[in-house]
Amino acid sequence: MKRKNIQAKMWITMTGVLTVLLIVFGSCAENQKIAAKSGAQLWAENCQRCHNTPSPASFSHSQWVTIGMHMQTRAQLTDKERDKIVAFLQQ
Amino acid sequence: MKRFHNLIYAVLGLCGLLVTASSARAQQTAADSSVLDRLTTLEQQVADQKPGESHFMVAGLTTFGFVSNKTTFTAPGAAGQIMRTNSFGDADHYELSPMLLWRHSNNLLVEFEPSFDGSSLGVNWANVTYFAAPGLQIRGGYFVVPFGIYNKRLAAGWIDKLAGDPNGFDLPGTDFGIGLSGGLPLGDMKWSYDVSLTNGLQLLPDGELQNAGIVDNNKGKMISGRFSLLPFSNSCLEIGVSALHSNAGDAGSSFTTANVNMYGADINFVKSLDPILVNIKGQYNRIEVSRQTYPGQNDAPDYSFSNVSSAAFAQISLRPTGADDKFLKNIEVAYRYSSYNTPANSTWGANSHQNDFGVDYWLNWRTVLKCTYSLSHAVSTANADQGGTLGITNVNALYLQFSVEF
Repeated sequence: MKRKNIQAKMWITMTGVLTVLLIVFGSCAENQKIAAKSGAQLWAENCQRCHNTPSPASFSHSQWVTIGMHMQTRAQLTDKERDKIVAFLQQ
Repeated sequence: MKRFHNLIYAVLGLCGLLVTASSARAQQTAADSSVLDRLTTLEQQVADQKPGESHFMVAGLTTFGFVSNKTTFTAPGAAGQIMRTNSFGDADHYELSPMLLWRHSNNLLVEFEPSFDGSSLGVNWANVTYFAAPGLQIRGGYFVVPFGIYNKRLAAGWIDKLAGDPNGFDLPGTDFGIGLSGGLPLGDMKWSYDVSLTNGLQLLPDGELQNAGIVDNNKGKMISGRFSLLPFSNSCLEIGVSALHSNAGDAGSSFTTANVNMYGADINFVKSLDPILVNIKGQYNRIEVSRQTYPGQNDAPDYSFSNVSSAAFAQISLRPTGADDKFLKNIEVAYRYSSYNTPANSTWGANSHQNDFGVDYWLNWRTVLKCTYSLSHAVSTANADQGGTLGITNVNALYLQFSVEF
């Protein structure tokens, strides 16, 4: 019985988390100051949270898109941050 | 006669013009041919880069070096025993991990990282991620369990400021399952989530934990998650909390009711205080296993203990990135204090702490030479009746390490 209770709690917790996420998705918004940030600025601010800022010459245009997706899964970048940083690195 | 001479000069002039024109035309033809050749080459290069359905790339990292180690073990009432070793790397500080990334589309990414650690060939992760919506990534496969920041973000040799890892952060490691993650804006701030449902942990007969593997050891699953907040608009500070729950006992064993709860907190602060780049990181992990009775060894009676472990580290590194001198701006100094306490009266109980001092030289943004001096001190709290070894262990180690991301 105790085991079933624990599993029930686990599923309830997960469902709760998902519900909260869905609610928050709809309410999240960035203000104008954040939205106006350039790719270069986001590159400088976010990459160095974990490692040195990468050189744009390190990978090709196509590879930067892939690296951007990879880094988004690692550092939980927002989609706009990823797109702007990748666009900057592709220049 | 004069007319005849004028005629000769006219004919010679005309021949000269014809020769010059012919020569110029030959040069132009050669130039055109060169341009055409270059154009053909460029067209081939463009064709090679043309986006198709397959976007495959190989990146990765390698780390190797030298470690000089002096271990002093002092048993109760006895003189210290000293052991010295010098070796080119070891399992914790040698790694070659090519990372294979395949972007199937702009919404689907496959990641695979095999790894050779000097003694075995393993897999760090192998998973597929679907970018379902802004702020929502869904992944499945074999991936780093979301808990804290060290394992997922900081452990790679070309990222870590010091040669070794802090003790006690191996769990929850990498596991098989599914997960959701994403980062979202919140006004001036930003927040992120990373949750997973995986096979979970397995409780061993001595009370230690390991990952159950691809075939689960019970019906229960492990739920784990990390939530973080970046309260400043420049993302210089990140504060995270993590939690985990897992059934850990083997089905049908005396550990059937065993479960594990883990709690964690982490902080990451990176800011340039001109001319110094200040980098502060820390994490605290606590593991609680429900009370169990463990089988005695060598005809000793069964025994029990409070199976609680904790690990923590705090690290600071400074790099004068704003310095004018090129050599100086590539130098980084780092210090880390870490502690790791395992359960008293288990066979593996100990209270330990470690100080790591490092000087790094960055050859470029992803290539580093590290020199780390490490001092660790561990006092055993083991249950000697069950085979645990009492005593004090001191380790002094000097690491020279080279690490590169490629």
